Amino acid sequence: MFLIFQRLWQVNWAEQWQYRANLIMYLLYWLVSPIIYLAVWTSIASSKGDVNGFTVNDFVTYYMVLLIADQITSNIVIFTMGYKIQDGTLSGELIRPIHPMLTNALVNNIAFKALTITGLIPVWIVLFFLFKPDFSTVTLTGILLSIPVMICAFFINYLISASITSIAFWTTRVYSINEFYWALILLFSGQFVPLSLMPKVIQEIAQYLPFQLLMYFPIQVILGNLSRPQIIQGYVMAGIWLLLALALFNWVWRNGVRRFSAVGA
Amino acid sequence: MHTLKLLSAFFKVNVQMALAYRADTVVNILLNLMWLGWELLSLNIIFSNTTSLGGWGIGELIALLGVFRLVNTMMIALIWPNTEKFNQSIRDGSMDYTILQPANSMFLVTFSRMTIWRIWDLVLAIVLIVVGINISGDTTTSLNILTFILLTVSGAIIIYSLWIVLISLTFWFTKFDNNVTILQALLDAGRYPATVYPVWLRIIVTFVIPIAVATTVPLQALRGDLDAVRILMFIAIGIASFLVASRVWKAGLKRYSGASS
Amino acid sequence: MSPITIHAENLSKTYQVPEREGGFGAAVQSFFKRKYNDVKAVQQVNFEIEQGEVVGFLGPNGAGKTTTLKMLSGLLHPTEGTANVLGFTPWELKPEYLRSMTLVMGQRNRLSWDIPAADSFLLNQAIYRLPDDEYKETYKELDELLELEPLMKKPVRNLSLGERMKCEIAAGLLHRPKVLFLDEPTIGLDITGQARIREFLREYNKRTGATILLTSHYMADVTALCERIIIIHHGQLKYDGGIADLSRKIAPFKLIGVRLAEVDSHDLTKYGTPVQNEEDWEKQYIQVKAEDVTRVTSGLLADLPIHDITITDPPIEDVIERAFNE
Repeated sequence: MFLIFQRLWQVNWAEQWQYRANLIMYLLYWLVSPIIYLAVWTSIASSKGDVNGFTVNDFVTYYMVLLIADQITSNIVIFTMGYKIQDGTLSGELIRPIHPMLTNALVNNIAFKALTITGLIPVWIVLFFLFKPDFSTVTLTGILLSIPVMICAFFINYLISASITSIAFWTTRVYSINEFYWALILLFSGQFVPLSLMPKVIQEIAQYLPFQLLMYFPIQVILGNLSRPQIIQGYVMAGIWLLLALALFNWVWRNGVRRFSAVGA
Repeated sequence: MHTLKLLSAFFKVNVQMALAYRADTVVNILLNLMWLGWELLSLNIIFSNTTSLGGWGIGELIALLGVFRLVNTMMIALIWPNTEKFNQSIRDGSMDYTILQPANSMFLVTFSRMTIWRIWDLVLAIVLIVVGINISGDTTTSLNILTFILLTVSGAIIIYSLWIVLISLTFWFTKFDNNVTILQALLDAGRYPATVYPVWLRIIVTFVIPIAVATTVPLQALRGDLDAVRILMFIAIGIASFLVASRVWKAGLKRYSGASS
Repeated sequence: MSPITIHAENLSKTYQVPEREGGFGAAVQSFFKRKYNDVKAVQQVNFEIEQGEVVGFLGPNGAGKTTTLKMLSGLLHPTEGTANVLGFTPWELKPEYLRSMTLVMGQRNRLSWDIPAADSFLLNQAIYRLPDDEYKETYKELDELLELEPLMKKPVRNLSLGERMKCEIAAGLLHRPKVLFLDEPTIGLDITGQARIREFLREYNKRTGATILLTSHYMADVTALCERIIIIHHGQLKYDGGIADLSRKIAPFKLIGVRLAEVDSHDLTKYGTPVQNEEDWEKQYIQVKAEDVTRVTSGLLADLPIHDITITDPPIEDVIERAFNE
């Protein structure tokens, strides 16, 4: 089993390396909006002193960590697998004795991540000198505690995205559905602004949804802003959502493949 | 006259295409409304925490959102689909047919695809501008409105010219089909007044990829914040960039036909 | 004698192709100092084509056919030499020139896939500034010849390859061009599809007196349509003349086919070079020089128990292949 992943890694890394020019563009595209939000909120905070207790430095550190957390927990599975289901090339992968979504596509995503994170490092260092954040509240414990959560959040997000991708077995409008999913992330993950500055209603709902695990929760863990019970609560949520996401994916995938073979696409 | 006829012919063809994908059109309009809702909500969140952003109130930001959406509509309704078609035509060689047609090739490349339903987005953008200005309570003279229109057009032309230059680069560097992503990536910066950005980002969005010239600047003109010299300068830049772009396009075509090598 | 429509003089095109070795070091090096290889795609080609002629343009892949067609249609600048088509220099791309010629490439799409061809036709009407009545008349004529009407309402992606090609050709002819450059117009089509396009082109030429220069992989296209062929190989003109003269000039050979009384094959090598003929299994074929035909035939009749004997010209494909291989 390990050998399979090793081989898949070699192939997918080589493939992603071929597309490194595209990758730089993707990175640029994806960097811009956090930096804009950062600029907007620091400008407000500096004119007023603070925003509901958030100082300029709080915003800078928040978005600087967000750049990393977002990169770790996001995925591109819909773009790599969606069209394969639609044009039927998936059948070639279905007859192989490994799960297309949980092995090849997964490793492909991880290879993609490895490259984008490598590309992010120099950018992050430049931003560090531009904004000069004060990371004094960050502890090693905080960083160590955030890692399992981010890995867990990556898998939750990956499984949900894979489930949405699998809707392509039924309809061609899967990309529109995915856009809707992105809007949910934007609303409930803390991507636009730290969740505690969002309207109360959204905060209440966000507590029970998996999206805050992608960004807001791990960022706060790293920045040392959470109490022990809050961290435990987050871990429990992550565990529950991972199981739910796994169940959802299994169900959608099984029915999708059944439909795929019945239609004979 | 003939240009208008040609434009209406392209328009008809694209209406046909939109009709062929009716359901997608409906879904896209719904998604568009969803994002508009999100944009207004995010402005609401910002202004529940402050009364001004870069010196502007919520009314001005709603109007700015309108101007941003004008530019964004040009990007999404015209530039993206035509980029896709252009890259495709370079790859499969159908660019040859475009060149051999007895009409201006830059015109053909610009207007052969249009996402028709986006027209309603333009209406929406104008509504946002009007409503925003009303909320802000700024007084606008008809001269301000005229300069606003002129600068919006000139700003759009600057972005368009940059696009022409970017796609023309494909004639020199064939592996360059990522050309337009850089435009779209920085476009988001147009939602907020350029004055809130740190200096380095302000320089990029004003001089390198001049998104701010097409969004912040026209709105400043509408509020009467710009003097005549600057207004004339921005209009001159618009005209100059169009001339440069058509030059680059022609040079690109020459390169394509091997005239320069 | 009809006026000259196409005139090419010393037409040459040299491409500069960047040379690059594999590996990172070479990539970096080529970034700073790139080496180029000159590829001579077309060299000093001369010919003249009269109005109304249908000329077949032949050569193996990469011989320079498409490059020549592209220069004549105006897409490419020659590195050397001149061309004149209908009094215009093609690569100046004058609108009046573009309105009087057409280039149809079998492997490229002019029509948009998502919409019915009828809509793309209307777009072409606008681009070529065709008045309504003139457009309708041309369309009617093309419809008569190609039976377009049933294909017009379907999105192009739903048409078969042959149907699509009919529409592509029609789209290229709506403005009644006086000169047609056709690059592989029948590629990928089945035998009937090829025949229909061929039939159409012949009829179109007869009706309008248009000049046609076409390339094709299918020899049948050329033998059926063209009285004159131009052969180009390695960028150089190898042959320009009538199709009937070709075998006499390039391959002065005949094929002798014999059916023997016994099924066992006799050794015929001493009479001539044996050749395969897949269409005729009953006979054995040998190839002999034209001047030796009489001698060999009488020898065969004297020596062997022959039931049947035929003397034919070698197939045009073989003759042309021979021309390429020289």
